[in-house]
Amino acid sequence: MRTTSRTGAGVMHEPRSSAPGLYLHVPFCSTICPYCDFSVMRSASPARERFASRLVVEVGLAAPAWRDTRPFDTVYFGGGTPSQLPPEDLARVLAACRTHLAFATPAPWIFLEANPEDVTHEACAAWRGLGVRTLSLGVQSFSDETLRFLGRRHTGQEASAAVETALAAGFDTVSIDLIFGLRGQTAEDWQLQLATAVSLEPQHLSCYQLTIHAGTRFGVQAKHGQLPELPEDDQATLFELAHRFLADAGWPAYEVSNFARAPLHQSRHNRKYWDHTPYLGLGPSAHSLSAADASSPARRWWNERGTPRWEKRLAAGERPIEGQELLGPKDLAEEALLLGLRTTAGIDLDSLTTRYGVDLLSANGALVTRLTDEGLVVVRADAEGGRHLVPTLSGLAVADGLAAAFDLTLPN
Amino acid sequence: MDHIRNFCIIAHIDHGKSTLADRLIQRCGGVEDRDFRDQILDSMDLERERGITIKANTVTLPYTARDGKTYELNLIDTPGHVDFSHEVRRSLMSCEGALLVVDASQGVEAQTVANLYLAMEFGLTVVPVINKIDLPSADIDRVMEEIDRDLGLDPFESVQVSAKLGTGIDDLLEAIVTKLPPPKGDPQAPLRALLFDAQYDSYRGAVLLVRLFDGTLKAPTRVRLMHSDAEHKVEEVGNQRLKRVPVPQLSAGEVGYVLAGMKSLAGLAIGDTLTEAERPAAEPVPGYREAKPVVFSSIYPMATDDYEDLTKALEKLKLNDASLIYEKDASAALGFGFRCGFLGLLHLDVVQARLEREYDLSLILSAPSVRYRIVLNNDKEVWVDNPTFYPDPANIKEAYEPYIKASIMTPERYLGAVMELCRERRGVETTYNYLAAGRMEVVSQLPLAEVLFDFYDRLKSITQGYGSFDYELLDYRLGDMVKVDILVNGEKVDALSQLVHREFARPRALRYCERLAKKIPRQQFKIAIQGAIGGQIIARETINPFRKDVTAKCYGGDISRKRKLLEKQKEGKKKMKMVGAVEIPQEAFVAVLRTEDEDDE
Repeated sequence: MRTTSRTGAGVMHEPRSSAPGLYLHVPFCSTICPYCDFSVMRSASPARERFASRLVVEVGLAAPAWRDTRPFDTVYFGGGTPSQLPPEDLARVLAACRTHLAFATPAPWIFLEANPEDVTHEACAAWRGLGVRTLSLGVQSFSDETLRFLGRRHTGQEASAAVETALAAGFDTVSIDLIFGLRGQTAEDWQLQLATAVSLEPQHLSCYQLTIHAGTRFGVQAKHGQLPELPEDDQATLFELAHRFLADAGWPAYEVSNFARAPLHQSRHNRKYWDHTPYLGLGPSAHSLSAADASSPARRWWNERGTPRWEKRLAAGERPIEGQELLGPKDLAEEALLLGLRTTAGIDLDSLTTRYGVDLLSANGALVTRLTDEGLVVVRADAEGGRHLVPTLSGLAVADGLAAAFDLTLPN
Repeated sequence: MDHIRNFCIIAHIDHGKSTLADRLIQRCGGVEDRDFRDQILDSMDLERERGITIKANTVTLPYTARDGKTYELNLIDTPGHVDFSHEVRRSLMSCEGALLVVDASQGVEAQTVANLYLAMEFGLTVVPVINKIDLPSADIDRVMEEIDRDLGLDPFESVQVSAKLGTGIDDLLEAIVTKLPPPKGDPQAPLRALLFDAQYDSYRGAVLLVRLFDGTLKAPTRVRLMHSDAEHKVEEVGNQRLKRVPVPQLSAGEVGYVLAGMKSLAGLAIGDTLTEAERPAAEPVPGYREAKPVVFSSIYPMATDDYEDLTKALEKLKLNDASLIYEKDASAALGFGFRCGFLGLLHLDVVQARLEREYDLSLILSAPSVRYRIVLNNDKEVWVDNPTFYPDPANIKEAYEPYIKASIMTPERYLGAVMELCRERRGVETTYNYLAAGRMEVVSQLPLAEVLFDFYDRLKSITQGYGSFDYELLDYRLGDMVKVDILVNGEKVDALSQLVHREFARPRALRYCERLAKKIPRQQFKIAIQGAIGGQIIARETINPFRKDVTAKCYGGDISRKRKLLEKQKEGKKKMKMVGAVEIPQEAFVAVLRTEDEDDE
């Protein structure tokens, strides 16, 4: 059934910050999950110490280009499993950042991803001491069976305990990551997972549909027909269930996979990715974006994906950049379209025009009318009279297809 | 004239006709070994590949027989399909004898019989040739019995050969000389030369292959084509070896080529008679029949950019295929293309295959149609072979469709199935005759339109390959045709419209809808696919929209990848055809327009 419920309605958003964000990639994991396609590795503590030192070097090499930008107001430790890096190493890296890069005052909002098994009172206290404000927990599920299937080391009990510990430690935002859409998962089971998460009262939730990536263990199994995919209609059912259930419970979505108790708890770091705010990514595989200016177009570049190569280049005193692309107005507009349609704030049509010179509605009038009739999008004015093209819940569920449907007639 | 033998080789497919021809040519020194390639008479790649002969070929072989005399053996190759029966008849008419090839292990088959009857119709002397005697499964005694019983020929007259190994070829050449009669004719009488084939040579233009019945022919005589009434000056005559060898003159009974300064094959009709302009013959060679296109289809390039290439390719193809006709056509869904007329379905198939291979084009062909005669309310008469131009039914007083007389040979045990097939296809006055023990001929008057779709395949399948089929056009008869349109989200897909008998409208519409529904990918909107006669919906399929089409994660590293994917998707969309705001991939058209019944599992 097609639904026209509008999850976007009534969701408030923090005002956009144009200050850049800093992403630090920590590739270590205690085990490699069969679904994960991030840059990850298992290693012993000497390697981790060496890694932190290299990251410090990279901060120094990358910094000069970011002297003239506004101060960074977010720092995000992602991975891998940043909680596998001892607090002393995290502190070392942060200190280097503070030395070489301009940080917002009084302090940037620091995010840290953690595995439930690493969450202890002591660790939380240490992270709080470093200024971490959002702790994002890779819970994935509260069902032991599912956790085993996903190759996770913790149990449902331990996950709940970790969330409680984190909440008690006084982080501004505790976030829970959940995975849905596993083979044979029923709506009842998924609702039970959501209810369990909600009962713990975290400030933020991320619900990711299990994605099978080529090159992962699940990817190999799927290729050999050993991992049947959930039928599309069932995927849609679980997706819509999450959005409805969480909205009703008080955690409305602000993006395809992200839900927050209040606008304050939305990931202000991730939102930079979605609206082309510049970001600097350090560590293996990290991506960076610099804004266009008078002399050059916007640019995105990315680091060596494998940790050994990344380390090797740094050891040679080089920046470990693997590749880059220049982004013209057309590229940026394409991205703004596909990213905007993933958010409940939708696409800011006026900003699309002023930033990229694209008048989306005039080139796609018939399409928008049709998508509106089908209950996939709405065009809405905000308080200031600015127009937004906002996906409905059904629209969010097919955001990729929506983005492909639009014709971007662009100025040359 | 006594030293001439004009003959053809007729055989069931796969019984080794081309290999046998190769061997005869080699034995007579018609070709240097280094120039030799298999199936030497099949000049098109397509013929070699399919193992069928599409275009007749002819070769003159000098042969010194055991009696010490040198003979001129003219091997006149025949195309092997009913679509070209017209050409087959002209070829047979040019011969006095035929070698009827029978496979030593397969024995007499359906086509062998059909071929025999055809040869007998032209009064040819037939020598049975048992081929492939080298095969372990060869059963010569049984085959000789069949030749006696099923063909009514003297098995002891047969020659046993292995074309593959060259065994028995000398005996066969002797049999050609001793058993086949020489041609008759009067060299002093006014010229009568049957045009039985024409080829295109990029340097010399049209090369006319002729069989002289009376008179002589040499340069620079002015000749007249008696049916088309055109005159040309002969520039050169000669023998068609594997290369052309000029001779001073051709004389009654002989087979050879004529060059007369004609730039293309346009206007040349196979079966026409050449005579002297100064001293014309009283009557042309009998049996002339104009080769009229009976099957029509529109050809579109897959990529609209290829339209120019298609135009050039058709122009070139037309140079050596005079029976192909075409004119410009345009479809809202498929862009510019050509409406083409063909002699039959195989001809269509061959043209398509040649365009695709020789000119490297990807094509979409609309559903084949016959030509209808429509009488309007105001008594005006129009001919329609393109559904697009089918008049509004309200204005139609009467519609007529072409009928054929189909002659089907079948073993008696399949008689019921064949009669049923004719009935299903709206056959009338279906009758049957006994030909020989266990062998029947079913004669039925069928609408040509019903034969266009898989009739031959169905016949083959219900008779386990033994049925053979030939037809001739009869007349036009009153019919109850309707135009079936296919609509996607309410918009007509013009390239998929077709004219069908009212009785078959619904099943046909359903099948089209089903195939389209299978091939159009889910989109953002619900897609309705309908079959309609005018405003009346007779079939419907629905494609539900995507319900889930979004990746879970989209952070720093995912964005470039996603944008590139999106760009690729949009690139792919450009190659799709838009109908009613629905993107229809090319494969969908191809799938829908495939000939019926070959699938749907």
